[in-house]
Amino acid sequence: MTLIIAIGNTLRRDDGAAHRVVELLGEIPGARILTCHQLMPEMAEDIAAAGRVVFVDADVEPGTARLEPLAETAGWSALGGHSVGPAEVVALASKLYGFQGEAWLCRAPGEDFGDGTGLSAAAEENARQAAALLREYLVRQA
Amino acid sequence: MPERILISPVTRIEGHAKISIYVDDSGQVDSAQFHVVEFRGFEKFCEGRPFHEMPALMARICGICPVSHVLASAKACDALLGVEIPPAAELLRRLMNYGQILQSHALSFFHLSSPDLLLGFDSEPARRNLFGLLEHDPDFARRGIRLRKFGQRIIELLGGKRIHPSWAVAGGVLEPMTAGARAEILTGVPEALESVRIALDRMKSLLDQFPDEAEHLGTFPSLFLGMVSESGGLEHYDGRIRISDAEGNVVAEGLDAQRYFTYIGEASEEFSYMKFPYYKPLGHPGGIYRVGPLARCNIATHAGTPLANRELREFKQRAAGGAVCQSFHYHLARLVEMLHCVEKIEEICSEPGILDERVRAQAGQNRTVGVGASEAPRGTLFHHYEVDETGLMKKANLIIATGQNNLAMNKAVEQAAKRFVNPARLTEGMLNRVEAAIRCYDPCLSCSTHALGRMPLEVEVRDRRGHLLDRRARG
Repeated sequence: MTLIIAIGNTLRRDDGAAHRVVELLGEIPGARILTCHQLMPEMAEDIAAAGRVVFVDADVEPGTARLEPLAETAGWSALGGHSVGPAEVVALASKLYGFQGEAWLCRAPGEDFGDGTGLSAAAEENARQAAALLREYLVRQA
Repeated sequence: MPERILISPVTRIEGHAKISIYVDDSGQVDSAQFHVVEFRGFEKFCEGRPFHEMPALMARICGICPVSHVLASAKACDALLGVEIPPAAELLRRLMNYGQILQSHALSFFHLSSPDLLLGFDSEPARRNLFGLLEHDPDFARRGIRLRKFGQRIIELLGGKRIHPSWAVAGGVLEPMTAGARAEILTGVPEALESVRIALDRMKSLLDQFPDEAEHLGTFPSLFLGMVSESGGLEHYDGRIRISDAEGNVVAEGLDAQRYFTYIGEASEEFSYMKFPYYKPLGHPGGIYRVGPLARCNIATHAGTPLANRELREFKQRAAGGAVCQSFHYHLARLVEMLHCVEKIEEICSEPGILDERVRAQAGQNRTVGVGASEAPRGTLFHHYEVDETGLMKKANLIIATGQNNLAMNKAVEQAAKRFVNPARLTEGMLNRVEAAIRCYDPCLSCSTHALGRMPLEVEVRDRRGHLLDRRARG
């Protein structure tokens, strides 16, 4: 089973792009979708229960959507505690629950991260590209 | 040697803050201040909104303790309707509150504070967090994560989501609990109880290793304020307010939360966005009081559940003849409360009426003023609303738990700085102990800086020796 975790705040415009990506993706057999504002350590258990995980997140750097293997964490957050990044939560899943599956990161670049709802045209286009990349990836895994 | 030592940002707390430590001419710590540097505005921007929207709006104050705000807000709205909510609705609100307190206390203890205790106040800062903890003791870290998840799951099962559930509404709650949700919660109780017990035993075994911290991270006499049950026990949802002093004497009893403004005043200081509530009869700042787990454990005569009763009795033995005055013991009090929460969760889920489908009283607006209060993880929370005849909000006043600890936190910071900081030979461990004084209170600064309009915004310009060159203030 593939766990897809969409991260972002839909009240900060393009930061909610990942939510749009999974909306476009719809229900996919063999995939479970979680949506959240931010990652939390508790999600390590959900990741460990899946064979692989794909994080979907908005990107403040301009460009096009991309799907790439998640780089391992270089170290734990010095602030630690409240929120963690994708690599950290995967490392937690590995350390605490023995997760050894694949971890991927799908980025959907945006350009407007101000207050408000709805995506900019660029983010909407990138969300569509990201959904297509994800769909292709999931078909390959099936 | 610096004249002013700045710790910014303060880490492992909920929100953004800084601490200034001022040094006198002889090079010793003279004073210290805890500045809350974030700025919200909830009291102002809800004006003009229909009061029915308030619980959902107020949930947005905080991502850690939204349930507390939803509950206090819903209770204020109940008062505006002038209704008594159905018994099942009250049980469900209580259940969600226990889930909330459990998850918040688990975050505070396991994620934020236990790294200091298990890895040491002087350990490497990069490791002094949850991740360092899991390297040191994976089972303990896993238990902390799962305990928090259990509390969050209760919120999710009842409210539909873990964060910002707008499920408690004027007159009750939106949905009854399903049999499946009850069964799932009850299934999680044994592991949760075991985890809290392990944490409690570990904490008690650690206390003797930190005698200096226990005595100097905020040990001073103060009043303690909180709700108690009808029998004088721990109460987290609805009860009369009791205030006791450092000697354990009850100063005020049976106070009505609806009339909080007759005994609580609010002061503001130029150095922080957070207000400084005080006990009115003693004035500001003499009316310093503490709220939250330490206060609740001090004012309650008993817990009301078997396991927590025993732990509370043992906790009270740490008092030197009166109340437990060490802020360091907030951690232990938090664990006693976690045990109580799990016991209450099981008790409520076993109530025969818990699945009753009548969970909302229907009524129109009958009053123009309503106050709601409940015990949040960090202490007593008051929401005070005034509406016009059409139900639109004219005024809101929120008295937040963390704000009520503001005077105490400033005192704790100063005491810790004076004891542990050597300005001539600063170490990271010294500054961490000053931060740890704040962490005892588990402050939630997002909640506590909800006000807009009257708080001063100040920019100070200082030279290298710390002399004030210019200051611009507004508000």
